[in-house]
Amino acid sequence: MTLENILLNGMAVITTGLIVGAIFSLVAAGVTIMYGTIWFPNASNGQFFMLAALLMWSLVVNWGLSPFLGAVVVIVGSIPFSLVLEKFLVRPFYNVPNRNIVYFIMTLGLAQIFAGAFTGTYGRWSDQFSLPAAWPGAILLGPFPFPRTRLLVLVIALTLLAGLFVFLRLHRVGRALRAVFQNREAAILRGVDVRRIYRFSFVLAMLVITMGGVLFAMAYGFDLTMAWTMAIIGFAIMIVGGPGSVLGSVVIGMIFGFTQAVVSLFASPTLAAFSYLVVMLIILLVKPSGLFAR
Amino acid sequence: MLLQEMRKTALQVFFVLLTIGAFAFLAPSPAAAQPKGEPIKIGWIAELSGTWSFFGATGLTAAQIAEEEINAKGGVLGRPLQVVPMDNRTDPAQAASAARMLDTQHKVLTFSGPTSSDTALAVYGYAEQNQVPFVVPVAAFPRLTRPGTQWTFRVEPDAVGWGYAIVKFVEKMKPGASIALIYSDFALQRAIVAGIKYQAERSGIKIATDIIFPQNATDATVQAAQVKSKNPDFVFVSGGGAFDVTLTNQILDLGIKPEQIIHPFGAVKMILGWGQRSVGSYYGTFFDHSLGGLNDYGKGLISKFTKRAGYIPAYIENFCYATVYLIKEALEKAGTADRTKFRDAMRNINTKEVTTGIPMVFDKNGARKEYMYFLQMKEVGKDTYQSKEAFYIEWDPEVIPVYQLAP
Amino acid sequence: MIFRRAAVVGLVLLALLLPFLLSANRFYAFILGVTYLYVLWSSGMNLLSGFTGLMPLMYAGLAGIGAYTSVNLVMKFGVSFWLAMPAGALAAAVVGVVLGLPSLRLRGFYFTLSGLVIQTALTMLFVYIPQFTGGDTGISQIPPPMISLPGDKSFALTGVWLEEALAVAALLTVYVVHRVTRSTWGKYLVAIREDDLLTEALGIGVTRYRVLAFFISSLFAGVGGAFYAHYMGFVSPRSFDVLTSMNIWLIVGFGGQGTILGPIVGTIILAPIPYIMQELYLYKDIVYGSLIVFTTIFLPRGVYGSVLFHRRNRALSRSSAQGKTEAARL
Repeated sequence: MTLENILLNGMAVITTGLIVGAIFSLVAAGVTIMYGTIWFPNASNGQFFMLAALLMWSLVVNWGLSPFLGAVVVIVGSIPFSLVLEKFLVRPFYNVPNRNIVYFIMTLGLAQIFAGAFTGTYGRWSDQFSLPAAWPGAILLGPFPFPRTRLLVLVIALTLLAGLFVFLRLHRVGRALRAVFQNREAAILRGVDVRRIYRFSFVLAMLVITMGGVLFAMAYGFDLTMAWTMAIIGFAIMIVGGPGSVLGSVVIGMIFGFTQAVVSLFASPTLAAFSYLVVMLIILLVKPSGLFAR
Repeated sequence: MLLQEMRKTALQVFFVLLTIGAFAFLAPSPAAAQPKGEPIKIGWIAELSGTWSFFGATGLTAAQIAEEEINAKGGVLGRPLQVVPMDNRTDPAQAASAARMLDTQHKVLTFSGPTSSDTALAVYGYAEQNQVPFVVPVAAFPRLTRPGTQWTFRVEPDAVGWGYAIVKFVEKMKPGASIALIYSDFALQRAIVAGIKYQAERSGIKIATDIIFPQNATDATVQAAQVKSKNPDFVFVSGGGAFDVTLTNQILDLGIKPEQIIHPFGAVKMILGWGQRSVGSYYGTFFDHSLGGLNDYGKGLISKFTKRAGYIPAYIENFCYATVYLIKEALEKAGTADRTKFRDAMRNINTKEVTTGIPMVFDKNGARKEYMYFLQMKEVGKDTYQSKEAFYIEWDPEVIPVYQLAP
Repeated sequence: MIFRRAAVVGLVLLALLLPFLLSANRFYAFILGVTYLYVLWSSGMNLLSGFTGLMPLMYAGLAGIGAYTSVNLVMKFGVSFWLAMPAGALAAAVVGVVLGLPSLRLRGFYFTLSGLVIQTALTMLFVYIPQFTGGDTGISQIPPPMISLPGDKSFALTGVWLEEALAVAALLTVYVVHRVTRSTWGKYLVAIREDDLLTEALGIGVTRYRVLAFFISSLFAGVGGAFYAHYMGFVSPRSFDVLTSMNIWLIVGFGGQGTILGPIVGTIILAPIPYIMQELYLYKDIVYGSLIVFTTIFLPRGVYGSVLFHRRNRALSRSSAQGKTEAARL
């Protein structure tokens, strides 16, 4: 293996692992915030992810918007959408004891509605969707050409994750969110308005998932099967990392990202897919609260 | 503009549905010179919902264009021809029950429709067991015409044969070249690669590397770097679904030249997805609007389909269209809408594809004498593209042991 | 009392007669057959989800094991369906218990998630062992069940006879589930569902009864799987994936968990939709999904469950003056 080859492959592994890991982490963070705080396991998170990506596509490819403007529109637009969803589908169940099961069934139904809607509209237009590069050209990292768009996506994703982290640790509202996750009763005693926190965390989680979808659309081509794939990945990371733990989502998300990037170097694809499942199962059986649980 | 286009699509779909509904429940429609009598039915089992519904839907549109044209000219044997669509939800089990329903309930003359091999194989099982003719327009698994097949005919050349054709193409471009294989783990790709590997040994083409992705892969940069390190002359690129665009882009990002890339097949949306940066790359196909020598039917299909669907048709739409015309011709040859006589007519038919003039002859297993074009991309716009023919090859379905290579 | 008995007898007779009444129209007969199949499956799952409080997402995978076992025995070894089907059911039950055992300790949602993982693994397994399953492309031309007659002849159960067999199988399943829930350990199951800690403290082996419930439930999954394979004539891994498990569970939840009639009601409403809406294929997903969302919000106990609940409420307020309660009614 020449030095050039080592550098080439090495840079490829690092950059790919970071990008894929960052996007996975964003999705998982969204899923885990929703589940950890409100106890809302969202089976349709993949559909929301894809909705963000599809809307990006519509805005950029059909309407000719710049990807940056499109991203802002989609992300900001997710807020009213989330608020409406929260009011009609999430809020009614805040006081229901087994609401996680209820939410799960309901979001399964929601996922089916979205899937049907997508098939009938976007699915008739094309089998796959891709955006033109937001920032054409590439920079050279040694022998490795790193496309500028991917660099952009990576930087934005990592910044968002860092921002989320800082928010949850340092900001008043973020800490209230974590307080509610850890102990709802104690949080109430400390004067936290739990219902408002629920609403906030739902919107925040949806925001994070939307960002993940927008970034994915900028970096990759996608088709309608992506929704379910991302949903499973999101859940898997959440389980292994621990529901409610954003740190867990990020760490495990990165691990999953790197594993995905390098798997075909060492093992057959079948083995790789099976190994994810085995890891998930082991965690569930041995330490169901996840690796990073409090 | 987005809303308008989506509304337009939704309206078109609505109209298609309305037309389907009308045909399904009522007698033939009020156009002039419509043939009267009991319609002859083709059971069109297609992927109309579910994962790959785009291909099923687009094929159905093309089939319906053919149906309307035929009925406007008096139908078949003095009776109207009716394409009865049935959704298989891109699920083989659903395809089998759709087959059963079309056979027992609608009493169709023949099945057709699947664009996906696994649904096609499900219908194949039913057709062979219950002695119903089955003309497969777009599904490339060799097993559809394995030795002993009695009732099934495959219009599209088989996938293992594509691999054979690819190697022949590479051989012509550069004898003794090396080719890297990078593709997704789907049955179709595996079949093509089996053909490539078999013929490569016999043609002196070296396989530089063989990289498979799991079905839900996201990113191919690392593997693209591996391919680049091997410095192959050519790269065979075939991802599943949208991953194909990602894979292509990332191979190009790493510095592989477009002229080195060979895609096994190019549907319109894929070509547009590969985009301007793929100009110079090659792809295999069976029908393309860029091809010279299209006759009136071919040109007519292109303009009618583009008007109806909003995008240019390619080989999938062509095969579906041509299949309906093929069925009509076989019916006329048989002289009656009897399943056995129809099947015998198909076995002995010696005709041409209505849009391109390429011969249509089937061997004793229902496999067609096969062919493939390789085109090179010259220009890609937002909604259209231009390619140029680089290679054409015809071959016998059993030129290599396809049935062993893709059991 | 007599009225209820008569109603039950009437319904059973209707169930047995329907295949003959509908036999002329193969489309409706097929929907009927599928409905019976799902009644079988959903009643089996109800035992686990409704009465034991677990949501088993690996159900379809177990059905697949039953199906592939039966198909392989019949097609490769010439075994009669009537032996192969129980063998398939047993295989499904054993696999179910082996795979489910470790996760039976888990509470609620984690059990669900582990079921999801196991189901995904099973579907992948089906795809990657084509020697037994035909892989992605499936197994076709599966023969219908045969009944051997005296004199070396045999009679193939197809068409109306197969639907009749399905009706019988479905009725038997409902009956068995009914008897189980009425029995002592059926009541233990309900106790476990309501409060497993207390039940454990009372000396009743929680895990032991859960395993038993799992075993029986998986048996039915396998029976249904075998019937499915020989009824459809075709199986592929996609027939037994997560969505299938969820559909069955949705039927149970939609109809009313923990009641005998609930799954039946749920099946009758939900199972035919994809077939009736075949022409309107673009809308069927939206309709199906909307039904589910609607039921979650407005009928959280399921259709039949809500009916029972309101009836009980009215009865309670009527009879509370006399100090009677019907709290033990399942």
